[in-house]
Amino acid sequence: MTILLQVLSTGVGLAGYYALIAVGFALIFGTLRIFHVAHGTVFMIAGYAFFSLHRLLGVNVFASAVVGVFCAVVAGLAIDKIVYGPVLRRGGGMFAVFIASLGAALIVEAGFLAWSKGVVSVARTGMLDTFIVGGVAFRAFDFVIFAFVAAAFGALYLWLHRTSTGLEVRGLTDNAYLAAVVGVNVRRTRYAIFLIASALAGLAGVLVAYDTGLEPSIGFKMLFIGVVAVILGGVRNILLGTVVGATCLGVLTAFAGFLFPEWNSFTIFLIMIVLIIIRPQGILG
Amino acid sequence: MEHLLYIGTLIAVWTIVALAANLVIGYTGMMSMGQAAYLGVGAYVTATLNILLGVNFYLALLIGSIITAVVGAITLLPLLRIGGFYFALATLGINFVFFDFFHNLAPRVEGSEGLYGLQLPDLLASSAPRFATTVAVAIACALLCQAIVTSPLGRALRATRDRPDALAALGKDPRRYQVLIWTFAAGLTGLAGGLYAATLFYIDPTLFTLDASILVLVYIGVGGLASTTGSVLGVILLIAFNESLRFLGLPSQFVGPFQQAIYGLLLILLMIFRRRGLVGKYDFTE
Repeated sequence: MTILLQVLSTGVGLAGYYALIAVGFALIFGTLRIFHVAHGTVFMIAGYAFFSLHRLLGVNVFASAVVGVFCAVVAGLAIDKIVYGPVLRRGGGMFAVFIASLGAALIVEAGFLAWSKGVVSVARTGMLDTFIVGGVAFRAFDFVIFAFVAAAFGALYLWLHRTSTGLEVRGLTDNAYLAAVVGVNVRRTRYAIFLIASALAGLAGVLVAYDTGLEPSIGFKMLFIGVVAVILGGVRNILLGTVVGATCLGVLTAFAGFLFPEWNSFTIFLIMIVLIIIRPQGILG
Repeated sequence: MEHLLYIGTLIAVWTIVALAANLVIGYTGMMSMGQAAYLGVGAYVTATLNILLGVNFYLALLIGSIITAVVGAITLLPLLRIGGFYFALATLGINFVFFDFFHNLAPRVEGSEGLYGLQLPDLLASSAPRFATTVAVAIACALLCQAIVTSPLGRALRATRDRPDALAALGKDPRRYQVLIWTFAAGLTGLAGGLYAATLFYIDPTLFTLDASILVLVYIGVGGLASTTGSVLGVILLIAFNESLRFLGLPSQFVGPFQQAIYGLLLILLMIFRRRGLVGKYDFTE
């Protein structure tokens, strides 16, 4: 029983990261139909920026975190401007954007490979604090993650449901063509979507860099997990869908990691396949 | 000379992989990002049979291809329900899963990460005959693929890609063609995997990661989708280009990342300026 609760607490901690990645991906895919493979790259850029500032140069945690998130935002906007923009302007379909996105992800990953040679690195010294309640060890850091995720999703909810840009974003999700017809400024909305999605991925990158460390292939892995979370939750309701999807995936992967630690990607993939077979529209779809 | 023959053999092996990938991606429009998984299955089955069980290499190669084809069919079946990006991502998932398999379950020779010690027949034992044999096999595969795509089956494959509804209206199930060509391509890739093991003498799980799958994508993307000539051309040009990078004198730890960055850039430039590659007959315009 204690072990069950222990694994559950680990799973909820993981779910926070998954949710931050997944919600940005769902926001971009749901509104602009861009399959943003480089979203994982944006996540990784923040993590590496945070790592090099905080661990290598000894800059204060919060300053490094802010710079990390800022780097993610710049990277996300730049990829949209430099890569997706030209592909779409020259008549490329969404699959062309997908391949180009893959190309962008490869370039950045190559940069980190050349720099770090695949070393897994944690952006902190010493252990994280834990405290024990009823035999279950809770990590204080999981509460930090939870607070950030709750704040991010609260802000996202307010943005989507209380501001005019948010209304436009929701309009794009429902019917992009109609939204443009009734005067949604697609260019500005697109900018806002990439900015916010990249900032959330950046936040996840900073937290992961501090918590478990980074390696150059983590971008692709996190993206894969995020997309599975989106498929799990369904794309109809961006916020609730990703929260539900990420929580299920986090808890399931934590259990699988406890039972069969060597089979991490196998479990995620299996969950996705089973879900696609029994409920292709997602849990909430 | 020895090295040139080795490069030539590699080109022949990758040509087979690219031909198979072009059948599924270019002709049938099934975005596969996990071809390296099948390459790995072929290589591992062939090498295991030959090294650990002492099976004759040709027989091992045949069994390896057949098993890879079966594995291909089994892994495709659950994916038939999803389309588009999700299909592409699921094949990428297959790649991760098989890497887990190779890493955790695949047999290895004591004291190493992988398998070595193949008992090769005369035709593959030394570099010159090995080059001749693999090139002959690659040419046979190219002719076979060309025969398939110019036959009525090839037309049905293109229809599966472009107009699945029309095909269904004629009483032909598009899924049947998808399974058929996927299985065939997996078998072909498995054959290439066995030859790959014979060329390298040593295989380990790191050869069959996502990087290898993306390499295939770049080869056929540059050469051109839905074109046999394109598959051959893309592999020759890019491997030759890759070898020419040696003369730049980069420190060895930067060669891999540099190559990866070039391939990434190539993908972006292709998608912006020339989506059908050099001689392709299909692009990603929806």
